[in-house]
Amino acid sequence: MMPQRRIAVTGLGVVCALGTGAAAVWEALRAGRCAIRPMQLLDTSKIGFHNAAEASGYDPAAHFSPSQLDHLDRFAQFALVAAREAVRDSGIEWSPAVRDRTAVVTGSSIGGQSTEDVGFQDVYLRAKTRVHPLTIPRTMANAAASQISMEMGLTGPAFTISTACSSSNHAFAQALALLRSGMADAAIAGGSEAPFSFGLLKAWEAMRVVAPDTCRPFCRDRKGMILGEGGGMLMLEPLDAAKARGARIYAELAGAGMSADAHHLTQPTIEGPARAMRIALSDASLAPEEIGYINAHGTGTPGNDPAETRAIREVFGAVADHIPISSTKSMHGHGLGAAGAIEAVATILAMRAGLLPPTANFTEADPACDLDYIPNTARAAKVGAALSNSFAFGGLNAVIAFRASPV
Amino acid sequence: MPDELAEKVISILASVKHIPREKITLESSLADLGFDSLDTISMLFELESAFQISIPDEKARGIRNVHEIVSGIRALISEQAAPGTSLESVPSE
Repeated sequence: MMPQRRIAVTGLGVVCALGTGAAAVWEALRAGRCAIRPMQLLDTSKIGFHNAAEASGYDPAAHFSPSQLDHLDRFAQFALVAAREAVRDSGIEWSPAVRDRTAVVTGSSIGGQSTEDVGFQDVYLRAKTRVHPLTIPRTMANAAASQISMEMGLTGPAFTISTACSSSNHAFAQALALLRSGMADAAIAGGSEAPFSFGLLKAWEAMRVVAPDTCRPFCRDRKGMILGEGGGMLMLEPLDAAKARGARIYAELAGAGMSADAHHLTQPTIEGPARAMRIALSDASLAPEEIGYINAHGTGTPGNDPAETRAIREVFGAVADHIPISSTKSMHGHGLGAAGAIEAVATILAMRAGLLPPTANFTEADPACDLDYIPNTARAAKVGAALSNSFAFGGLNAVIAFRASPV
Repeated sequence: MPDELAEKVISILASVKHIPREKITLESSLADLGFDSLDTISMLFELESAFQISIPDEKARGIRNVHEIVSGIRALISEQAAPGTSLESVPSE
């Protein structure tokens, strides 16, 4: 078999509750700073939970003109802001040939449904007879991919993956496949989400999975997830091409593993996530003992955390006790379709810095969660390879593997 | 000189396109003002809301300049206006 084309990460972009831009986000992650606060974006008096991880420092007007904002739901704004940063960071120069061969693969669970939620109130509540004509183009889940391709003039394959909380990791897996196969020579991949609108929050309330207080993954007193928002993008290029143009190489996107539980809409299995991790290791040609960090799915729900713990034990056996694991959702909330992208940026920055972000808000471990979750304080560690887990409602699992920047 | 209705139309166009209203005259064409298809459907939506009228698709397709919009709306108001509706009841921006 021909050796696979190796794929490098050459640029990072991120916006979330911890800040706008990789530098700000990393400062917060390394300090273990939790950005979960009472919601400000909308009135929560009729919603059963009040705390969230909003991108409160994000100012749309700092990034877009009023005309641009007319066309951009908040989820597409996050995608564009992150994509601009990743591209700028990569130093890639756009030529017509490069533009034709660059893919855009974005993930989002709900796309611009916040636009829809607000817009439909006109006809449902206010007895208006029409809905704003930009509702459809702002809402469509592929708006983020389209906006990135239009702004940057990228004419290669561009599409959107929607697999709930695994959307970003599935997007990375697709970008990896496009680049390995030679269907594209560069890719902007990641995801974004903006779930803070009244109807959507009521829907989350009804699922009874959102914590009233904060996000305490793997703890005995955890009460659920905390919703977050934001976006993350990686600039991906074949390693040899990246080296040839003298690009900074953050890490290698070494592999991806995907699986379906084929079991239940919301209850995870052990075997589904375990298979996704095993496939990611094998795809990346990594042995379990080479993994020095796992950025866990770690939602803080009763269901996920013990199941993920058992899945990690099943894959890594005795090695599992020696792998530092953290859920950065304890700081930036659950970014849903953006989660994998925000966490990929966190994982890559951690590998580069040799400092692993903690699981914040950690109190006392749940006996059913008996691994090393890096409680509350970042830890220095040299990491040669890492996994980032995403497991979605609907039982769709996607795990990506990074190898430290090759020297 | 534009009358009250025309002034209102010009304000709406300026607001939709995020341009100063001084740039818009009755003679301005939508193309010169930079209106693309999305701007145009947004404009139609705002005009319908402001004047409480319904602009049929076939009428909307032929519009090329501000003057045509103003005269078209004047005609539609007299055809469609509910009793009691007047320019004074038009909500301002």
